[in-house]
Amino acid sequence: MTPAGARPGGGEAARVGWFPYALIAPAMLTLIAVGLVPFLYTVYLSFHEMRHAQIGDWAGLSNYRALLLNPRFWHSAGVSALFIATAVPLAFGLGLAGALILNRGICLRSVIIPVRFVPTMMAPAVVAILWKIMLAGSWGLISYNVIERFGILTGTSVLASPALALYALVLVDVWQWTPFMMLALFAGLQSLPETPYRAAAVDGATALQAFRRLTVPLMMPLMVVIGLLRLIDASKVFDTIFLLTGGGPGTATESVSLFVYKRVFDFWDLGPAAATAVVIWVMFFAFANGFYQVARRKLGAF
Amino acid sequence: MSARRTRQIVRKTWPVPLAALLLAIVPGLSPAQTWSYKDAAKPYTGRSITILDEVTPLQESMKALVPEFEKETGIKVDYQLLNHFEVISKGQADMLSGRGAYDAVMLHSPQMGLLLEAGVIRPIDEFLGNKALSNPALDRADFIEPAADSLTKFGGKTYGFLNWNYNVVYWARGDLLSHPTERAAFKKHFNYDLAPAKTLQQMRDIAQFFTRKKGEKLAGETLESDFYGIVLEGIKGGTTLWTVLDAFVKNFGGDLFDADGRPTVNRPENVAGVKFWAELWKYSPPGQAEYSLIDVPTVMGNGIAAQTLAWSDFVLGIDQPGKSKLAGKFLYAGSPANAQGKKRSAETEPSGIVISKHSKQPEATYLFIQWMVDKTTQQQLFAKSGGAGVPIRTSTWALPSLKQSRFTGLYAAMQESLKYGIAKPKAPKLYEIMDVLVGLVQEVGLGKKTADAALKEGQEKVTAICAKCTL
Repeated sequence: MTPAGARPGGGEAARVGWFPYALIAPAMLTLIAVGLVPFLYTVYLSFHEMRHAQIGDWAGLSNYRALLLNPRFWHSAGVSALFIATAVPLAFGLGLAGALILNRGICLRSVIIPVRFVPTMMAPAVVAILWKIMLAGSWGLISYNVIERFGILTGTSVLASPALALYALVLVDVWQWTPFMMLALFAGLQSLPETPYRAAAVDGATALQAFRRLTVPLMMPLMVVIGLLRLIDASKVFDTIFLLTGGGPGTATESVSLFVYKRVFDFWDLGPAAATAVVIWVMFFAFANGFYQVARRKLGAF
Repeated sequence: MSARRTRQIVRKTWPVPLAALLLAIVPGLSPAQTWSYKDAAKPYTGRSITILDEVTPLQESMKALVPEFEKETGIKVDYQLLNHFEVISKGQADMLSGRGAYDAVMLHSPQMGLLLEAGVIRPIDEFLGNKALSNPALDRADFIEPAADSLTKFGGKTYGFLNWNYNVVYWARGDLLSHPTERAAFKKHFNYDLAPAKTLQQMRDIAQFFTRKKGEKLAGETLESDFYGIVLEGIKGGTTLWTVLDAFVKNFGGDLFDADGRPTVNRPENVAGVKFWAELWKYSPPGQAEYSLIDVPTVMGNGIAAQTLAWSDFVLGIDQPGKSKLAGKFLYAGSPANAQGKKRSAETEPSGIVISKHSKQPEATYLFIQWMVDKTTQQQLFAKSGGAGVPIRTSTWALPSLKQSRFTGLYAAMQESLKYGIAKPKAPKLYEIMDVLVGLVQEVGLGKKTADAALKEGQEKVTAICAKCTL
């Protein structure tokens, strides 16, 4: 009989209690070294004056105050938010539609899948150059042969228009990342059990009902993870903006990534740049955490 | 004096005039000829230095010459070539942080202000004055001015050597400007002969004259798409702002700062220059606001614009058989002046190679950067690159590889532009100032803001960055 209060096998458990931690220790230490330490150092820098890349006096909250009072920061945050709010749902919707089509066992599927993956495999700089060749005003393939030839847009080009440039960048992002969404969701669809669908068919469920009542709930954990990954990735967009518009026209496409980049690598304004990095991290952490909580509690994911 | 005594004196003193004669006629005995990199480098043989430069075809030719320096001096050189952005970020980070991984770094002139303020560039005056290290044949007067001095001289000291000399030239369609029908029509309309623009006003007239719609005639042919009188860089970033300032605003008598370095962004001359530049957008392709310094030559090569102001080194990549159907039909001239202006200015980008304050091998590094810019190396460099490049020395213009090049017109244009191009102001916050202003002038070009309103806003924003901006 086990003594009161003692757990069965408690000695064994106590003996091996450290073992799981030992197993993950190398990974955790690496993570701390390459992730947490630089971040904490950035926090440290954000509370100091920086001049010529040298740490100066304690600055308190002055870097944060200057940042939060800078309208250009809020403008760039707005640009990023609009970019995420349009690019992610579009890529997700198109990816899901593509995955459902692929899942129906269409012909040439084995050819389509690797071909569709090509944009995702491209480096962002290559994607930017490719779309420059497509959209460049008066000499781009699409601009010259379609947009200008048929008078779709006059007096400006897509990337030169303050009203359209951001949506052109969204298009580029959607073009690059929809295949990834499609293939990841297709893999999820392929792994769903067939039994519930057979039962639903016996009960006379329509395709739409099966999708709403079976596919969506069963796919929800995967969809949330993929959506979150895409969201994180879209928030970091930099290369295509940098190469296609430089943040212009004016500041129409200046995302927070570009805002920070300029402060670090162009202006060498490292104190405010560190504060910006911290603020962006906090904002995004709060958003991603909120997304996670909603997904966990309301959608049953995780 | 007896003949015998004379003979005795001659016997005793004959070596003196002979020695003088030898010194005069034997070249091996002049200081310039006796000095060699081999001898100068003896104390540093076996040392290693690391140099950071920007990758271009000319710098790749330089890299191919580096083993000759190593062979002659015994100094090992790690000559690294990185792209434009990496050279700025890595070079600047290395110098500011004090890490000292690079002994010498290529610096663009807008970087000079920050790095001079930080005190991380080592002046080379001590080496220039050191007879053991300084090549007597260096001939500093041969460096192209005002580029060299405006870049390297500051506070009575010399900071590195001029190593790059990129410049903007006037580039036009020679076939259009010489077409009889077009010439007659132009003369009738403007009452003067159609020719490469020498003034900004002529450039505007040519832009206006050649801007045609699809279906109209151009040089006797019916246009299948719109044709534009001019194309200019207009992207946010790149060198848009400097073209506006150096090729337009300064020709109107304007400038960013006054003599004390205080911002004068909205002075009337600046407004006039920006207005003139923005007026040219009426005759430009619709996508000009996204055009970088790479798009401009692409548009010229595609044959949809009559003229431009473009970086001369980019011309070399377009005006080549097989690169553009118009190769050989282009013509070049120096950057145009303002017909009513008193000052003349052209957009150039003199950049230098400087020794980092943190270099542990400054003498060996000095020998290398001196070798990079000396006459012999520059001659070899241009021979190796097939005459394609941008000279830093006046003597380079006379090299056979340039004189016999099919780009003689382009080289003459470069020479003209370089007479009027100076380094950017030594302002530590120059990149931040540029970033504010380029977005504003771009909006003027797009017609979203007036020049007056944009420059007034620019004045406020630049003043918020720095009350006194230059060193």
